[in-house]
Amino acid sequence: MKLTVNGKTYDVDVEDDMPLLWVLRDELGITGPKYGCGIAQCGACTVHEDGVAVRSCQLAASDVVGEITTIEGLGTPNALHAVQEAWIDLQVAQCGYCQAGQIMQAASFLDLNSEPTDDQIDAAMSGNLCRCGSYLRIREAVKTAATKLRAV
Amino acid sequence: MRGIVLAVLIAGPVTAQDTPTKAQGLAAWDDMYSVTSHPRCTNCHVGKGGIPMWNGLTYGADAVHGMHVQAGDSRVGAETMPCRTCHIGVASANATPHAPPMIDDAWRLPPAELAWLGESSQDICVQLRDPETNDGFDMEELATHLEASAFVAWGFAPGAGRSTPPIGLDKMIAALNLWASAGTPCANDP
Amino acid sequence: MGRVKTIARRSFLIGSAAIAGGVAFGTYLYKREGENPLLADLKPGETALNPYVKIDAQGITLITPRADVGQGAWSMQAHMIAEELDIDPATATLSPGPASAIYYNGVVGAEGLPIAATSDTLLARTGRDAVDVAGKLMGLHITGGSSTVPDMYDRLRMAGAVARETLIRAAMKQTGLPRDQLRTENGCVVLPDGLRIEYLDMAVAAADIEPVQDVTLRDPSQWRYLTKPQKRTDMVAKSTGTLTYGIDMMMDGMVYATTRTNPALGGGLIGFDAEAAQGMRGVRSVLPITGGVAVVADNTWRAFQAAQAVECDWGPSPYIGNTDEQFDAVANSMTDDHQDSRFKDEGDVVAALDGADVIEVEYRIPYLAHAPLEPMSVVVKMSQSRLDIWTGTQIPRFVQANMAKLTGMDAGNIHVHVLMSGGSFGRRLEDDYIAQAVEIAMQLPDTPIKMIWQREEDFSHDFPRPLAMAHAKGAVKSGALDAFDLSIAAPSVAESSLARLGQPAIGPDVAIVAGAWDQPFAIPNYRVTGYRTPAMVPISSWRSVGASGNGFLHESFMDELCHAAGVDPLAERLRLCWHDPSRKVLEAVGEMSDWGSDLGPNRGCGLAFTLAFGVPVAEVVEVLSTDDGIRIDKVFVAADVGRVLDPVNFEAQVQGGVIFGLGHAMNCELTYRDGVPEQDNFHAYEGMRLYQTPQITVRGLENGNKIRGIGEPAVPPAAPALANAIFAATGQRIRELPLSKSIDFI
Repeated sequence: MKLTVNGKTYDVDVEDDMPLLWVLRDELGITGPKYGCGIAQCGACTVHEDGVAVRSCQLAASDVVGEITTIEGLGTPNALHAVQEAWIDLQVAQCGYCQAGQIMQAASFLDLNSEPTDDQIDAAMSGNLCRCGSYLRIREAVKTAATKLRAV
Repeated sequence: MRGIVLAVLIAGPVTAQDTPTKAQGLAAWDDMYSVTSHPRCTNCHVGKGGIPMWNGLTYGADAVHGMHVQAGDSRVGAETMPCRTCHIGVASANATPHAPPMIDDAWRLPPAELAWLGESSQDICVQLRDPETNDGFDMEELATHLEASAFVAWGFAPGAGRSTPPIGLDKMIAALNLWASAGTPCANDP
Repeated sequence: MGRVKTIARRSFLIGSAAIAGGVAFGTYLYKREGENPLLADLKPGETALNPYVKIDAQGITLITPRADVGQGAWSMQAHMIAEELDIDPATATLSPGPASAIYYNGVVGAEGLPIAATSDTLLARTGRDAVDVAGKLMGLHITGGSSTVPDMYDRLRMAGAVARETLIRAAMKQTGLPRDQLRTENGCVVLPDGLRIEYLDMAVAAADIEPVQDVTLRDPSQWRYLTKPQKRTDMVAKSTGTLTYGIDMMMDGMVYATTRTNPALGGGLIGFDAEAAQGMRGVRSVLPITGGVAVVADNTWRAFQAAQAVECDWGPSPYIGNTDEQFDAVANSMTDDHQDSRFKDEGDVVAALDGADVIEVEYRIPYLAHAPLEPMSVVVKMSQSRLDIWTGTQIPRFVQANMAKLTGMDAGNIHVHVLMSGGSFGRRLEDDYIAQAVEIAMQLPDTPIKMIWQREEDFSHDFPRPLAMAHAKGAVKSGALDAFDLSIAAPSVAESSLARLGQPAIGPDVAIVAGAWDQPFAIPNYRVTGYRTPAMVPISSWRSVGASGNGFLHESFMDELCHAAGVDPLAERLRLCWHDPSRKVLEAVGEMSDWGSDLGPNRGCGLAFTLAFGVPVAEVVEVLSTDDGIRIDKVFVAADVGRVLDPVNFEAQVQGGVIFGLGHAMNCELTYRDGVPEQDNFHAYEGMRLYQTPQITVRGLENGNKIRGIGEPAVPPAAPALANAIFAATGQRIRELPLSKSIDFI
């Protein structure tokens, strides 16, 4: 089957029900999306399907209908997305393992809702676990990113 | 589809020729209420608050859906975290416990006016018989909805050990048709 | 002891002669007494100035041997070297270096001694010196116990200074100028006329310079990075998905594996049927390993699926298998013949309680899983002559030794490549998962194998934080605390985990009472007794170790007694506290939280204080009781690490520690049924999520006389401060964790 990831089209030969996460990580070598729980409890595997956040551990390969963007495709160290910039400005990451998922969740959220309330930020980001406890800076970084994005 | 429903009706204790009595209609409603008050339904039929529940699973009594999920005015969580972030809109065996259920439809909450959580049998009965308050369904359309909706089908076969309503979908449809034939009586009707 | 003393003395003499800064040991020693492990692996044109600094024409590599498990250790170590080396740490490459005795930890062992961090007697100093020497003799290359900064603070700055002076010597040789005409700036030696020679241009020349011994550490007033807000060196990579964690390592020809061992711990495998699994797509082999099976496939998910399809016949667990019975065993061990320690015994508790109106209560805390978000994972490759291991680990030398034992290989041929860890909280002080992968590799030589545990496997095969119970008796007199008698019973972490590392556990286990026996309060009659519950399921260190639970036991009872005495919990602690830095964190948190002010209805504030890892931490939690449950609104924290090296990461570690402590106190426990942990994924072990996260205000104080680490100390006071706040808001006193067993949270 054909998959478009970060603007590049791949032909992959996998079972229909292989979760996209493992297609990305083990078939395509795209390791930004992380495995944390396998049951949509942690959000570490979050990617975008046509710009909308989705847990790639839940999306079967054959059910992918849109273009996939992973953290690697959102922005790069030399061309950061506004959300990544905010994450760096606020020094959010600790172990960082959840942060690709957090950032993808935040980017999709701010794309849908550019002027979120504080409670909406909490609701948008509470599906993503952070075991280190970086939540306060995540909250601030989402606010900072919202401001940055509105200024664009 | 309608033919099948009639066949079910004909096969039932009440023949098509006879109009069921009010008592028979009320008994049918009681069956229906055993479904509409079951967590498989009430977890999403939560009303305008838009916060789904996780009752009847393993998360304790009055368990609110985790992760501070809010369906919002959009009913699909578009303002915050879309339901589809986890509940992918494709048919699934839903075999993994504690993973988000998925169906061949966009996961969402029912319209706000179709509130069942914590509502009395009488209130839901009155709500459901009136197209003004039941999202515009006449009884025939409601029966079709029961037959065709991927949500309803999932509620009766939710997978992964989740509990199911006390009667099956076929009995639910039969009860609806009987209740409709009896003139959609509710207990407190004059 | 003779040899120990000699080495200690020699270290001291050489150190103090060599370094005018007064540091007790110098990088110089490593050249003389230990082999620089970097010399074995140098590329042409590369020079290792000491075990921490490598340079070639392309760049500088800083060796950061303490593992980064999220606490920012790599970045902090780099900043400490860079400060003296005079480079921008962002321009350097960081490497954790090889497993080597030279990177021994001279501080962490002190946590195992019954010496209070507040004690500065000759005996206490001698004990700590002995730990340093023992760490060195054992080559204890280990990360833990919030020891990275205290252990490395002098050592890495020395390493940076020695490297800098060596480069200056090279410049002197090149220019003929005397030392006092040269200075350094941002990776260059600067000549009197302003001309700059880049360090990189002297990489080869520096190799011929005898390492400089006579260095003076810079005065803190000259620092450019330390104590200033830092930019963590891993932040861009972690924000762009470009950092390689252990789980991300990829190699040509790599296969993917997972393991399934008996979820009833220690029960072993009686037999298995792999026929169905073997026929599944992509499955290369199903192999027996100790206690279970491994599936090797061409994709992790296929390995996961196939592992589930293996039919296993498990043996029964040899341990007490149900949580009720486990607590019974703990309760039954509070007897004289199980007494493990009584490090605190002041006044006469028995006499004070005799005839008094005794307050007698019992507390319980559960087993807890570490559950770092990156599940246990490792890449291994074994050939006839060498074994390579890539993973996030805190114990590279123990891995080397244990895998040498497992494979029969020489430890020198086992290469541990430490990668960034996606969290640990103590889990990566164990190497069980590595041993499993090596067992696979022994059956599949010459093939790189990536082994990843399913989350369910990770939860069910943790070595958890032990459960514990406390029996507390106390009395108050004339509006003041008079007697405080705390008996704590728990299985011994030291006994369990040191055995796995092949080390003896001698004497009492301080962890059973850590964070309780060593608190700086002058209660007239004050006793803390530890009881050792006979070993049950294997257990290990969990972020803040013994103090993680003992903080709750000690500080809940302090609060109860203060209320019984009718005294303000802050005022009474201040009255009783004899340790100045501890008093100051209490005063600070009182001021920050406006302690004692009217909060309005249904609100309450709780205070707790724990001195752990030498760091006094006071926390105030403010909650609101609503119809939907308790909402945690605010937390105030004051902590004293002696010197805050990076205010940005300091705040992050304190906030993270508080969230970790509160989240587990709210809703986490690991319970067992028939030897199997009942919580197998995050739906049943949630911790805190963002919407529940309170505002957390942090203040770092610098009154302590030693520099300390902050990865763990903020954890212990969080749970008791929360429970005390719930009492203040609702009148409900909860004596068992998790609190969700007794009260709802929003």
